[in-house]
Amino acid sequence: MCDEVTEQKVDITTSVMSKNDRFAADNRELLGGKGIYTLNLISSPGAGKTAVLESMARFFGPRMAVIEGDIQTRRDAERIEKAGCQAWQIETGGACHLDAHAVNHALSHMNLDPDSLQLMAIENVGNLICPSGYDLGEDMRIGLLSVPEGDDKILKYPSLFSSINVLVINKMDLISHLDFDVDRAIDECRSLNPDVLVFTVSAKTGEGMEEFCGFVENQFSG
Amino acid sequence: MNGGATMHELSLAHDMTRIIGNALGRKVHLDRVNITIGPLSGISPESLRFCFTEVAKIEGFGEPELVINLTRAKLICLDCDTEYEAKDFYQGCPGCGSISRRILSGREFTVDSVELEEGND
Ligand SMILES: Nc1nc2c(ncn2[C@@H]2O[C@H](COP(=O)(O)OP(=O)(O)OP(=O)(O)O)[C@@H](O)[C@H]2O)c(=O)[nH]1
Ligand SMILES: [Mg+2]
Ligand SMILES: [Zn+2]
Repeated sequence: MCDEVTEQKVDITTSVMSKNDRFAADNRELLGGKGIYTLNLISSPGAGKTAVLESMARFFGPRMAVIEGDIQTRRDAERIEKAGCQAWQIETGGACHLDAHAVNHALSHMNLDPDSLQLMAIENVGNLICPSGYDLGEDMRIGLLSVPEGDDKILKYPSLFSSINVLVINKMDLISHLDFDVDRAIDECRSLNPDVLVFTVSAKTGEGMEEFCGFVENQFSG
Repeated sequence: MNGGATMHELSLAHDMTRIIGNALGRKVHLDRVNITIGPLSGISPESLRFCFTEVAKIEGFGEPELVINLTRAKLICLDCDTEYEAKDFYQGCPGCGSISRRILSGREFTVDSVELEEGND
């Protein structure tokens, strides 16, 4: 054997996210084709994603459907159903994020045909790191930050907060007990992400929710 | 190490071996795997290296060296229009110090090429 032929280099040049991105494109086509506007909601565990979605469910009713991503249990889907919307639970069985394939699978189980359906909200697994690299096929990516978490989280998780379209600051009913500086959080988020829109809400008291829901509604009925 | 981050790199390591297996059409022992990671991709190179070493072995690709080409992000300053390169999210504009900018690139993550072990061609 001669030396030149023993080393073999094979060119691959493939984006590691290409499979996810193909499913994301499929999801976008499927949902877009039915005139359904899609949200991807990302936050740390307990920031209030399900609480915000429950409040949205009361505003939108059967115009909205929800995909819930959790490592285990159907609990969040049950909360959404109780609030009046169709919900599908993805149990990731350990994975710390949703990917577009899992969402594609969920969509195949849901009823996407009612004329009333205009909005699909996807609650990602509670995590500020892993979901940020996965496009699910959403039209709008929403980052949720709750005031007890602290206003320093935005610069600590730049990969997420630079990728969102909308920042929702939740649990504003607790603001007087905490030293969370809303202006600082907004400034820091804008520095990472100049086009971000910001809403301050309390899913508990409903403060700011009507304005936020109205804004979402304008995206598909405007 | 952050447990969540490790899970994320673990699934990316599985994606890498799937891509390599598809490209080669078979499982063979590899000498080297060359990849490119952008500094804004949210991937921890060390965590990925740890996961990939395990996954490659389990999936039948031997014990290849993972060679990571870490690129620089391209950003454009929104305060003074300077286009500049950065190695992370926190590096400000070299012209005016502002961190208000638009991201032009830096989130890439590709498998570039693999080198087969001798006698595997
Ligand atoms: N005070 C207050 N509590 C809230 C608010 N929103 C949510 N909570 C509470 O915060 C806790 C977590 O809320 P969830 O809606 O379950 O949070 P989540 O982000 O869906 O959590 P995971 O799905 O586990 O990641 C619950 O006890 C909620 O009642 C709010 O606006 N104000
Ligand atoms: Mg929840
Ligand atoms: Zn500048």
